Amino acid sequence: MAGLVPPGPTTVPAGESKKAEEKTDFMNLPCPIPFEELHREALMSLKPEAFEGLRFDFTKGLNQKFSLSHSVYMGPTEIPSQSAETIKIPTAHYEFGANFIDPNLMLIGRVLTDGRLNARVKWDLTDNLTVKANAQLSNEPHMSHGIVNFDYKGKDYRSQFQMGNAALFGASYIQSVTRHLSLGGEVFWAGQHRKSGIGYAARYETDKMVATGQVASTGVVALSYVQKVSEKVSLASDFMYNYITRDVTSSVGYDYILRQCRLRGKIDSNGCAAAYLEERLNMGLNFILSAEIDHRKKDYKFGFGLTVG
Amino acid sequence: MAGLVPPGTTTIPADASKAAHTKAEEKTDYMNLPCPIPFEELHREALMSLKPETFEGLRFDFTKGLNQKFSLSHSVFMGPTELPSQSAETIKIPTAHYEFGANFIDPNLMLIGRMLTDGRLNARVKWDLTDNLSVKANAQLTNEPHMSHGMVNFDYKGKDYRSQLQIGNGSLFGASYIQSVTPHLSLAGEIFWTGQHLKSGIGYAARYETDKMVAAGQVASTGMVALSYVQKVSEKVSLASDFMYNYMIGDVTASVGYDYILRQCRLRGKIDSNGCTAAYLEERLNMGLNFILSAEIDHKKKDYKFGFGLTVG
Repeated sequence: MAGLVPPGPTTVPAGESKKAEEKTDFMNLPCPIPFEELHREALMSLKPEAFEGLRFDFTKGLNQKFSLSHSVYMGPTEIPSQSAETIKIPTAHYEFGANFIDPNLMLIGRVLTDGRLNARVKWDLTDNLTVKANAQLSNEPHMSHGIVNFDYKGKDYRSQFQMGNAALFGASYIQSVTRHLSLGGEVFWAGQHRKSGIGYAARYETDKMVATGQVASTGVVALSYVQKVSEKVSLASDFMYNYITRDVTSSVGYDYILRQCRLRGKIDSNGCAAAYLEERLNMGLNFILSAEIDHRKKDYKFGFGLTVG
Repeated sequence: MAGLVPPGTTTIPADASKAAHTKAEEKTDYMNLPCPIPFEELHREALMSLKPETFEGLRFDFTKGLNQKFSLSHSVFMGPTELPSQSAETIKIPTAHYEFGANFIDPNLMLIGRMLTDGRLNARVKWDLTDNLSVKANAQLTNEPHMSHGMVNFDYKGKDYRSQLQIGNGSLFGASYIQSVTPHLSLAGEIFWTGQHLKSGIGYAARYETDKMVAAGQVASTGMVALSYVQKVSEKVSLASDFMYNYMIGDVTASVGYDYILRQCRLRGKIDSNGCTAAYLEERLNMGLNFILSAEIDHKKKDYKFGFGLTVG
């Protein structure tokens, strides 16, 4: 897409600087965000990790680069039941994690008491080329996954090639078209299920707002809009529609980032209201309150937790 | 028990007062014993420290005073509630209920009513007829047949004794009597008779209380033996322990707990011989605004209950 419009003048007298900002320099567009982070602001505001019960996380840094994490969770977990009723059983698990973080290399591993292993690698080979790998291994047969991504970051574009187990292949490309707008596309092919798909995305971003849209041939239409009302407050809304299964969901939420705490709340078109509060009690000590009420299914999830380190 | 020991001397010369003061305290005045606490509150300190009302989910209480004497309360609870299940597993279902309450509190008369969304009504009356005679009534009505109860208590408070007569539905009759024997020790007994189940029983209790500690013991012919001990370690800290044994069933439970009453919060924790640990924190965020955290872990049954709540007013 480079060279579509002849480049504008790059040196402008001070009085005409405003005109120069309108005349975008297509040779110097900013690098767009990665394709999988398209809806990033909306996801961060509208989808906090709500949980039920108690959560305790303890992160201990052994080194500048190396840290261990211990995570305990206790509470009722929903089990699939044949009736329409929600049935919960109290469960508990402990997760041990190790993180190695270097400027060029990042290794993250997690092991749970139910036998699942989660491993992530992010390796910056050069300034522009990055390799990412993600593996989830479990004891159950045929339930383990692995994915490798190769990302290439150009001057005003990013491209990604993805390979996964069960013959999953994917590629995506996103390009800055103007200073605010970026367009992207993706294709994927799943060998085991013999499915393939293609998708398009667009993202318009200014200082005050972010608007994104995504359409895929799997039937997903996702739109999101985030408005930064002030330094501390931002409002977000999200619309997801599947034109094959005719499933529609929209949600509206707020995100207050204050000095001592961060409060996120949202309400859904499925009658689900959620809130998530993270309060900083002390340096390195965070207290979390999580609440989710599903009025339609009459399901209530309340939890609190503590994060140390 | 009055008149067992002739009263000691009451006038002592001033210069020897300090030396003889302790002697006078040891010679207890059996005409002036303190009034004992009511029989049902025998284990009161241990119960308050060791049995906080733990819950699971969210609890929100709002109390609004309309008047000096009259107040309304709104109480919302949402969370998983345990269902009785045939298997050994614990199964929970999310439930929610709202409770509306009205309280009228007068120096002589206290009326409390609570109404839940599942149709249950709870009513309590406490009427002080005279300085010594008090009538208490308690009723729990439900929609389900044969599940409603009612009880009336007549309490007479004497100089150093208390007696109580109790009448309930299902032909339940009971009487109890507690008497101060020394300034620290009180002894008590109770009898009850249920017409419906044709059961009767008799029980004895003793309570020894000083500034620093309270020890209570109770034995009943229903097979229950209950002992409790509470030690007030300092102004802010008290430790409690409790022992309950049923000699007919052979069921035994012991628990140990602590109770920290600090300026901004109250923290209670306990551990049980059944492998159950619980903690309950009430924090005063503001005037009239309390934040509650409740946690209970039953290691034997692998059941975890965590909840938080807010109390306003």
